Amino acid sequence: MKPDPNDPAWAWAPFKPDAARPWDLRLAAHLYRRAAFGGTWPELQRALTEGPQATIDRLARPAPEAADFNRLYDDYENAAAASAGYGSQAWWLRRMIESPQPLQEQVTLFWHNHFGISNVHVKSNASLCRHTHVLRQHGLGVFEALLDAVLAQPAVWICLGAGANGKRSLWDSSVRILMDRYTLGPGRCSDSDVREGARALSGWIVSQGELRFVPGEYDAKSKKILGQEGDLDRKGLVRILAKHPATSQWLAQRLVRWFVSDTAKPSDSLLAPLARQLTGEGNIAKGVEMLLRSNLFFSTEAYRQKVRSPVELALGIIRPLEGRTGTVQLAADLARLGQELYEPPTIQGWAGGLAWLNPLTTLGRAKLAEALLAVSGAYGGKLDPAGVVRRHGGAAKDGGSQFLIDLYLQGDLTPETLGALEAGPSAAGAKGPGSADPRHIAARLASLPEFQLA
Amino acid sequence: MATWIPADSPIMVEVSEPMALLGPLLKPEFGKSVTTALGNGNPKLQQFGTVVAALELQLGTDWRTGLSRLAGKGLSFCVDSSGATLLAADGEDEKLLSKLNDIIWQFASSGADQQDHPETTASHDYRGVKMWTIGTNEVHALLGPRLLLGNRASFLNKVLDQRADAGGKTLASSALFNAAREAVGKEAVASIFLNLQTLRETPGLKKALAEDGNPLAALLLADTKAALRNASWLALGVYVNGDKLVLRTYTDGAAPAATKWTSFSTPPGTGAGLLPPLTVPGTIASLSLCRDLHAFYAAKDALFPERTSGLIFFENMMGIFFSGMDLTEGVLSEVRPEVRVVVAKQQYDPDVGTPATQMPAFAAVLRLKDPQRFGETVEEAWQKAIGLANFTRGQQALPGLIIDKANQDGVKYTISYYRPPTDKSSGTIDARYNFRPSLARPGDYVILSSTDALARDLIEAVKQAPSTPAKTSPAANSLMEVEGPALSAILEANREQMVRKNMIDKGDSREKAESDIQVLLAALGHLDHATLTLRREAGRPQAELEIRFQ
Repeated sequence: MKPDPNDPAWAWAPFKPDAARPWDLRLAAHLYRRAAFGGTWPELQRALTEGPQATIDRLARPAPEAADFNRLYDDYENAAAASAGYGSQAWWLRRMIESPQPLQEQVTLFWHNHFGISNVHVKSNASLCRHTHVLRQHGLGVFEALLDAVLAQPAVWICLGAGANGKRSLWDSSVRILMDRYTLGPGRCSDSDVREGARALSGWIVSQGELRFVPGEYDAKSKKILGQEGDLDRKGLVRILAKHPATSQWLAQRLVRWFVSDTAKPSDSLLAPLARQLTGEGNIAKGVEMLLRSNLFFSTEAYRQKVRSPVELALGIIRPLEGRTGTVQLAADLARLGQELYEPPTIQGWAGGLAWLNPLTTLGRAKLAEALLAVSGAYGGKLDPAGVVRRHGGAAKDGGSQFLIDLYLQGDLTPETLGALEAGPSAAGAKGPGSADPRHIAARLASLPEFQLA
Repeated sequence: MATWIPADSPIMVEVSEPMALLGPLLKPEFGKSVTTALGNGNPKLQQFGTVVAALELQLGTDWRTGLSRLAGKGLSFCVDSSGATLLAADGEDEKLLSKLNDIIWQFASSGADQQDHPETTASHDYRGVKMWTIGTNEVHALLGPRLLLGNRASFLNKVLDQRADAGGKTLASSALFNAAREAVGKEAVASIFLNLQTLRETPGLKKALAEDGNPLAALLLADTKAALRNASWLALGVYVNGDKLVLRTYTDGAAPAATKWTSFSTPPGTGAGLLPPLTVPGTIASLSLCRDLHAFYAAKDALFPERTSGLIFFENMMGIFFSGMDLTEGVLSEVRPEVRVVVAKQQYDPDVGTPATQMPAFAAVLRLKDPQRFGETVEEAWQKAIGLANFTRGQQALPGLIIDKANQDGVKYTISYYRPPTDKSSGTIDARYNFRPSLARPGDYVILSSTDALARDLIEAVKQAPSTPAKTSPAANSLMEVEGPALSAILEANREQMVRKNMIDKGDSREKAESDIQVLLAALGHLDHATLTLRREAGRPQAELEIRFQ
């Protein structure tokens, strides 16, 4: 079959390496960047040995220790959420760094962005913490269950401005967001569907931080939503929306933008096979797996076609170095770079793509890389590139430069950039790969334009 | 040693009696508790123990005796103007020092050879003295029983030049250093000299001494910062007094007399002054201040000229609570200068439960000039504050406080509390249950407490405490006492929270975080009592910290 990213048959067929697209370090690292926030050297080497499909099996399959790990971290996050500050966000970042199932955290972050629930409105770390737990618990399951669980969260109702939804004060705008952003996609429902949807949600109010149902406020009369009629309540509305074909199409599009490319504008026909996996008997995990296994995912249309979000940037520095750092400071630094966990800027989540980059954030990203890799300072020099170089035999060749280039960029450097690096110290005073200090080398590499792309 | 150190060196530490200073740390029980804290199976500790045991065997002495013979006659440490450092250790056993040097040198040389980098160890003569270097940041020399250890050869060379060519400008001939030494006195077992003329230009200290507009810092530190801005030197003397360790600061800097800085923190000599700190069962810390709040706030435009949003919010709130009264002339003028703060461990009601994070209770105790006239105004303001807090929490759909009245030994006081949780299945309860804000007005005192239990204890305490200043320390304006066992107990109760905080703050593993916290708690376990006093001596601020170990 001739490679054609617009041909659904080719695009969704499982990727099989060949001479034109060999399974090499570049593609292994591409998979780990998108599915696991970055891979360590042993992970990448193991992936090279096992091949792409077996590696995806491992990434997508729940690790045996994941359940215990998540229970422990739920407890850490819950306890920290009782206080103000970045405590619970810091635990989430640490969970992303240490999770035995990083794909689950990547998907949780995807849903956090998708629903766009912000603590600016909710004003409760505990509520946001519970919300992310729901996203994690159902994020790879059946979408109907996820939507139902999300709509049982007081944080969602508060953020949608629907704190008290009695039958005499229906909040159409909240239901519009539910339909346009969370499920069907823009322009797929009528004003009448929205009004009727609001009636289906009547009776639910948030009181004392809890979502409660007041039967007297519920509008029990028949409703007609998206062509279906009956005494539709919240569960009925969720069922109709989750099973609607437009929902799976919209979710497929969102997932492709998240995992494949910031700039992709896939046609409906291209999305159709993925959409089918996401609804009906399928579930989100199968859809994500299908996406990761596909030719499309490993195509040139996907490779380095995403700007790393601040979270992906930081974790892309930390995870390959097999270390961990203080994440309270990291949460604050990421907020300054435009990605404050628990606080997406709008209900539409973060704009993503090129919106991550401006002169200020570009400088901030370089400063973050420098701080993470500095021998002392805010992050206490916890990352140890020299140790990683030593452990994996990278020092023998050239003091570790080439090893770190392989680990961080897999050779994706233009000759000009490589030349500039080898020329020595930059204008800013940072040393190039030619210098002996792996910390400087790693910081310099992580500041390069090439590293900003996932 | 000062005769060898260049005069422009800004930092000099001298320990004249190392063994007296290190005595508590060298006791076997201290070593045992730290070893236990680190964990007997700790690989780094085991490695360290192996090295020490090997050295003891080769040197033919136990480490405590060895340390005494190698450094028992004095330790000096100095930093020069470029940041280079030098440590001098004076012992009594030249042979032992030489033997130790041979062992270390052989070990370093063979290690460098094995790593194929023999050039990292070297030795050479300078001014007739043999110098050894190990790696890039270590250089040392032996002069009889004296060890000189530095991080840069250039600084050690300078010191050896001074030794060979006596007559240059050294610290020993520096007027500033000698003034500091004289102030510290000969009874000090250790001293630290800081040349502020030089150090004040470093960005960190410059920022620390700047008028930063923080009202709380201005209130607590009073004229200290202003004095240090005028000072040429600052010295710290360390004294051993029985089972107590005393640290006392000296400086030649003085705040300009009778200025905005001194007007609110000088005991006015009208019967007011520093009252003894209050103690209650479970006291962790107790602070007593003499601060004329009226004078302080009247000088606010000079003391903290910046109108921060926090300050504006504070003034707006006080305007609401006190029904538009002028904060300076109408409110603070009614308060006497004796201000006391108490922090104490709290007991939780078993019927309510214990929060996961156990915060200590805290209270401020003020005195009113005319309680008959102003007491109810304070009560009214406090009830408005609770009402506003309830209103704000209600807006956020959070539970509010219930206000009630109670009686303690004839004193009626106001308490507020949250309804007990209905669901205790998780085992711990919300952090808000650390608070039961209360107000009591026994006599001319006003007690603002975070819990009713502490308010009750303080009602009893103020009855028994003297209401006139102690005559023993007339120049003191601040006194803080810390009780080691109570501090250890509250930290122990929050051990898990501290471990978790360490994990996300520092990025440590759980094992490392647990070990760090254990060491901290073990070290704190040796603290019995500490007292910090701020006073003004001959117009100059002085701080004194007295520590008693268990």
